[in-house]
Amino acid sequence: MAGSGVVQTHAFVRRRGRAAGAFTFVVVLLAVSGCSVAGADPIGEGPDTLRIVLPEEPPTLEPCDASLTATGRVTRANITEALTERDPSTGRLEQALATQWTRTSPTSWTFTLRKGVTFHDGSPFTAEAAAFSIKRATDSDIECNVDGYIFTDTEVTAKALNDTTLEVSTRKPDPILPLRLSFVEIVPTSTDPGARVRKPIGTGPYRVDEWSQGRFLRLKRFSGYWGEAPDFAAAKYVWRAEGSVRAAMVTNNEADVAIGLAPEDGAGDRAVEFVTNEISYLRIDATKAPLDDIRIRRAINYAIDREGLVTAVFAGRPSGQLVSKGVTGYNPRVRPWPYDPDRARKLVAAARADGVPTDTAITIIGRNGIYPKAAEAMEVVQDGLLKAGLNVRIKMLDVNAWLEYLLRPFPRGTGPTLLQAQHGNQAGDAAFTMGQIYGSEGAQSSYGTRELDASITKAQLASGDARQKAFADAFAQQNDEVVRDAVMANMTGILALSPNVRYRPDSATNDEMRLADMRRAD
Amino acid sequence: MFSMLRRRAVSSVIPLLVVVLGVFFLARLTGDPANLYLPLSATPEMRAEFAARNGFDQPLITQFGDYVAQVAHLDFGESLRTAQPAGEAVLRAFPATLQLAGWTMLLAIVGAVVIGSLAAYRPNSVTDRVASFLSSTAASVPDFWLAIMGVLVFAVTLGWLPTSGTSGAAAWVLPVATLLIRPFGVLVQVVRGAMVSALSAPYVKVARAKGARESRVVFGHALRNAAAPALTVAGDLAVGLVNGAVVVETIFGWPGIGKLMIDSVLQRDFAVLQAAVLLTALVIFALNILVDVCHALLDPRVRQRAAA
Repeated sequence: MAGSGVVQTHAFVRRRGRAAGAFTFVVVLLAVSGCSVAGADPIGEGPDTLRIVLPEEPPTLEPCDASLTATGRVTRANITEALTERDPSTGRLEQALATQWTRTSPTSWTFTLRKGVTFHDGSPFTAEAAAFSIKRATDSDIECNVDGYIFTDTEVTAKALNDTTLEVSTRKPDPILPLRLSFVEIVPTSTDPGARVRKPIGTGPYRVDEWSQGRFLRLKRFSGYWGEAPDFAAAKYVWRAEGSVRAAMVTNNEADVAIGLAPEDGAGDRAVEFVTNEISYLRIDATKAPLDDIRIRRAINYAIDREGLVTAVFAGRPSGQLVSKGVTGYNPRVRPWPYDPDRARKLVAAARADGVPTDTAITIIGRNGIYPKAAEAMEVVQDGLLKAGLNVRIKMLDVNAWLEYLLRPFPRGTGPTLLQAQHGNQAGDAAFTMGQIYGSEGAQSSYGTRELDASITKAQLASGDARQKAFADAFAQQNDEVVRDAVMANMTGILALSPNVRYRPDSATNDEMRLADMRRAD
Repeated sequence: MFSMLRRRAVSSVIPLLVVVLGVFFLARLTGDPANLYLPLSATPEMRAEFAARNGFDQPLITQFGDYVAQVAHLDFGESLRTAQPAGEAVLRAFPATLQLAGWTMLLAIVGAVVIGSLAAYRPNSVTDRVASFLSSTAASVPDFWLAIMGVLVFAVTLGWLPTSGTSGAAAWVLPVATLLIRPFGVLVQVVRGAMVSALSAPYVKVARAKGARESRVVFGHALRNAAAPALTVAGDLAVGLVNGAVVVETIFGWPGIGKLMIDSVLQRDFAVLQAAVLLTALVIFALNILVDVCHALLDPRVRQRAAA
């Protein structure tokens, strides 16, 4: 009996032990979950908060990385401001923190700065802060994105002449320096010159309030802002990678604005379409047969049904050049190539008759996700080229593998290729397109000619109307005499907008989303 | 028991080293991060400077040596993308995944034990057939489709739940339900199969002949013996969840380790990727050891073998 009692006691203790273990597991789980939920992202914060859902979290809010889309659309013109700003609709350069600028010599500009501007920390905006910001962005150890994007071919030095006068000099004459400076966000001299900052201080209408990494970023209206106060007292950003979820957040009244949507994401009557500055194109590797024959390059252009692509595959407008309206150098006379499959067939046949190896396999190097239905778009292109009599196959890659084909030095032994690409001239001047894409030695250029190089160089040195004309001529020359590309479409963006907010997106919206332009609908 | 734990820990070291080596070297074969982190127009000098600053200009073996030396000091390096310590990013993301996985497995196991036992109690009954059909369906539904349909039905159409996020208990319903459905379906089938065998075993007949209560027969005798295979499968499923519920985390904006790993692979953010893989591997090894311990607690034969 005694032995039986001991066995029962042990069994009881074991059962209690297991029960206690299970209970402890549940309690720990509840406790951990409770902690997390307490610090979670409350979506609704009242009508005074503008709720925006982005495709991705900004990697940093570093002002000198504002030329990166994911960073710039939060920081630019919201948290920080530049000396000048470009109107994306007209292409005109407007005042921002500078009210006037004059070219005092071929290599020197003088800027008169706005008075009465303060930073979010209360310190005054001065020419010294502007000079510091320019040096930090263009000549520091931070590896600022803006340095590689805007200032690759120029060196600048800035000097404060007095509190409101700034002198900026360049090593070589630079007719578009004020435009370049529209990318340098101004920060106070207290900003760390040697490391990226996570919570920047600027002069913009909003200041950083809280950034809960992975969950949300909240900005609050800056009461000391020099300009007109924005409508919303706060703005809250969250991020969701899936487009249909972003659209659903607006239709479900969890967000007021969702960006980066595709037509199939289901935003319904909340969807607002707008023309972006992104142009889709195929880069033709004209150094290899049969693509080294201009008839084949022309045939490729005639064989692509651009209207069909923008109607059935992705949203956009057929285009014939790599910049959109509003960019200096845009040439309205360069029209999209017409869809003419008969002409394409005849050109290929003529080249074949002259001994051009038209049956050589041409590879389309595609990039998954470069724009909505990227693979389907390439299948449409392939179909057109096959019907024209060319031998074409498709290879779809992820972004990093694709970059190996986009940038020099290109992979060897690949045979003739057509590269699926997209270019957005965010800066507003064709100088940021022509040299790197069409120049013989451009980082993204597979082929160029000496004549086109000369035209590009001439355009880069010109200013005013002469600059516009020179770049427009270079685009026409590329289109008529070189045919290095098959430009497809000026892409359309889609955002979802709640009925509570009034906002008219423009071609810069994907890169720079101005909160002050978003107004209450009531 | 302790010798078993020691053996398991020692045998885990080699796979761990293989994982660390594999991730380090394979990640570096996937392309130059400078292409992603510098503007397309960056000059060759800028690219060289980027490589030198991040140590990518060194021979791979030197880079690996530096990495091991850093890890020995619990320094996992800095994220290329956010310029923050990689270890911090991983430790911030891991609890979110563990919570999601913990709740999912808890609900899946409890639900599977109840439904699987009921189905096995009367094989081929209506309950059994319905449970088998539903569990097979649940085990085969693609989670991506299920997540999107869940958002469309319960958030957009009915308005009962938020579409995504982590705020409040309601926000947990769709992610947990999406993640739960497959492990639940698999476990129901495993529990049912094991319980059918156990309920027809001689010791169950003996227990019934001795007049034991039916609940004791089912839960005290049969279930305990049926638990071992279910535990093995549950361990495997839990490992899959701890590895990161990538689809669910991506769709519902859940800031977990799966999303972090995918982002760091796509962005060639080597430091974060290496830290995430290392920590995940450690947790998975710990989980496997935990499953072994549970096996030993459930089955005295395992304990005896371990002791021998």
